[in-house]
Amino acid sequence: MARFAGGKAPYLRIADDPSKSTNALMRDFLIGMFPVILFAWYKNGIQVYLEGNIAFLEMLYPLFFILIGGLSSMLMEGIFFYITDKENRNVKGIMMKLKNSFALIPGIILALLLPLYTPIWVLLFGAFMATIVGKMLFGGFGHNIFNPALLGYLAVGFTLSGVIASAGGVFNQSEVLVDAYAGATPLGTLASSKQISYAALVAPYGSLWNFFLGTIPGALGETGSLAIIIGYLWLSIRKVIKWSTPLIYVGTVFILSWLIGAFAGDGGLWFPTYSILSGGLLFGAVFMATEPVTTPRNPLGKIIFALFLGALTVLFRFIGNFPEGVGTSLIVMNIFTMPIDSISAQIRAGGIRKQSLLKGIMIVLILVAIIVYSLIKSGTIYSLSALLGWFKLGVM
Amino acid sequence: MILQKAKGIHIEGMKELSKKMPFREYLDPKTVYIPLVQQTTPLKRIVEPGEIVALGQVVALREGFGEMPVHASISGKVTSIKKVWHASGRMVEAIEIENDNQNRLDPSIKPEVDPDSLTREQLVEKMKQAGLVGLGGAGFPTYRKYCTKCPIDTVIINAVECEPYLTCDCQLIDQHAEKMLKGLKYFMKAAGAANGFIAYKEYNKNIKAALEQMLDKYPTIKLRPIKDIYPSGWEKYIVEQVTKKTYNKLPSEIGVIVNNSATAMVFADAVEHNIPLVARVITISGEGIKSPQNFYVPIGTKVQELVEMCGGYQDGLDPKNAWYIAGGPMTGKAILIDELVVSDTLNAVVVIPTPPETIHPECLGCGRCADVCPVYLTPTEIKRAFDRKDQKAIGELFADKCMACGLCSYVCPSHIEIADYVARAKDLLKKGA
Repeated sequence: MARFAGGKAPYLRIADDPSKSTNALMRDFLIGMFPVILFAWYKNGIQVYLEGNIAFLEMLYPLFFILIGGLSSMLMEGIFFYITDKENRNVKGIMMKLKNSFALIPGIILALLLPLYTPIWVLLFGAFMATIVGKMLFGGFGHNIFNPALLGYLAVGFTLSGVIASAGGVFNQSEVLVDAYAGATPLGTLASSKQISYAALVAPYGSLWNFFLGTIPGALGETGSLAIIIGYLWLSIRKVIKWSTPLIYVGTVFILSWLIGAFAGDGGLWFPTYSILSGGLLFGAVFMATEPVTTPRNPLGKIIFALFLGALTVLFRFIGNFPEGVGTSLIVMNIFTMPIDSISAQIRAGGIRKQSLLKGIMIVLILVAIIVYSLIKSGTIYSLSALLGWFKLGVM
Repeated sequence: MILQKAKGIHIEGMKELSKKMPFREYLDPKTVYIPLVQQTTPLKRIVEPGEIVALGQVVALREGFGEMPVHASISGKVTSIKKVWHASGRMVEAIEIENDNQNRLDPSIKPEVDPDSLTREQLVEKMKQAGLVGLGGAGFPTYRKYCTKCPIDTVIINAVECEPYLTCDCQLIDQHAEKMLKGLKYFMKAAGAANGFIAYKEYNKNIKAALEQMLDKYPTIKLRPIKDIYPSGWEKYIVEQVTKKTYNKLPSEIGVIVNNSATAMVFADAVEHNIPLVARVITISGEGIKSPQNFYVPIGTKVQELVEMCGGYQDGLDPKNAWYIAGGPMTGKAILIDELVVSDTLNAVVVIPTPPETIHPECLGCGRCADVCPVYLTPTEIKRAFDRKDQKAIGELFADKCMACGLCSYVCPSHIEIADYVARAKDLLKKGA
């Protein structure tokens, strides 16, 4: 036995090809975020500078902000490695671990999720929550249950949203000067007015075209729909992400929003389009719903996961207290990644059998219940027409 | 289900390496070592050191399931019983025979007077007496397939060869197309089957060209091109592609028997000339070989001699720091030493330099292993259940369906031995049951 090779069959591995290993995947993921970063810089830096509202050095601030996000998470992870591993307290060992831990990515995603004038200490707090609490305490890369960047974002959002708002909120220096916004993002307007009307939701920001290009107020990375779509195409072509997951997620939100709009008396396609282009939906669908570690591995599981995300996002958006539903629904679904994976693995390998039938039906029922409930509830809020009126009479 | 269409992925074949050189016969090695093991069954030796044997003489017996004789592959003198490296990755006992270069044949080897008049039972008996086993790599005794109680209507010859680097079957058909068709004809007769198919990879135009011109004489035999994906040489995949039917355990459930192309050729010789299984084809290839090529050699030949005939190792290859992969890089076994002998199941030796050891990241959960699995398993879930030693969960995940193609490990970007975990989970399941 001693003469047996250390490796095991098969002896050809994609991983041996440096252009296809996990490191290359993560590099490609970063490249996929590049259009978004560039757009965030253009919108909040270059354009504002050209309009003459900020100084030259301030133009570089968005890039600086994103860079701090990435580097601070790397630094924190390095310190964590230094503290926990007493045997490998040298630069080479820590660099080696950092290389296989991909700390840059959650930091950059976190920075892109935050508004431009978020104080740096809030960003650092978020990065700490993301990398140390969200990732390293779970056992490091590959073991975390929650999407680290999302955990950092939610921690900041729940505890320090007031600080961010008083520091300038989501508006860059040019947007502050526009009166028509009335101090709210598109989704904020929807949440406060609870009315589906083109005049109130889209007109203040120009047209839906501006939503597509991304020249509407919002966090750094989330508004640039076009840039995100370019990133999505790159990631899909490079096969870093499964192309179908974002499509199913966004498609579910589109259809459900359209239904809600139709029940509220406006069946035009502008409302579902508005729903998918506003808020962090596209960003979340492309960069977070596809994040490999915290989403199901199984192809069938990925489909179920995306359907649930769509239904939950609509539920949280139209019923919850916050304007945004993407982050919350992603965190909720992260918890269910494991059960979804094990059930869909059984169904996929053996077809629908006795033991998996019950679980399959359960999943479908929960999904249908969420959708129906959110449709009805949002219907009551958004002046539901007579079609579902009988539900109001006592069922719910 | 909609989700369950034919699966597999294209992988780089590296087949051109060994196609450059012509097919070569090398029938006079100085010594041969007949391994005293088949699959995992030890053989009973019936010759003693010092005895003179003829080519085709029975030197050992396989007992129990699939009992049959094993023959001397050259004529000469049995010198000793030695331990040699075997394709299974272990050292096994072997009979050393020194060649006397006289090529004396055993009296049993004589041309059959009228091979077409043989009955089914006689043909199956010939398979058994010839010691015929599947030459594709599994080494299953062929006659056991024909002892089935199910009615057989189709015999398929598997000439797909989906393992990278391997070209021995392809080149063998090129040279001996007629012989293979004859072998298939006898196989069909032995099974009482009405239809014969030859499945080959669609880009192997030479197989098509070589066979097509002779098909007029064999109206019941048809060609079937198979897509160039891995694992298209898998028995179940071929049966599905050819007959559009699927089965659970054995293809005979739906009236199909699958045989390797090299097996068919040996069988043609066994029927017409009573020559038992004494030689086989083997590919010597890989980046570590100067001029890779295919050989037709007696069983028991030392691989070292074949490597020398290929011009030796590539310059710069350290023979101590290389993998000698027995049987193709996807499903074979890597051995760290080149003192290997050709056995019935050894269809290739691929020599590649040992890749450098690097630290790979953890599983990132991309799910590619589940994406490519030809039997729709989710290897990550099986690994999770295996880590808990949860037999029930492993069973619910259908780990026993795994046929060890190795694709999950192949695609894993984090270089995780996921196929090995599934294999171990499968073992655990068997032990528990």
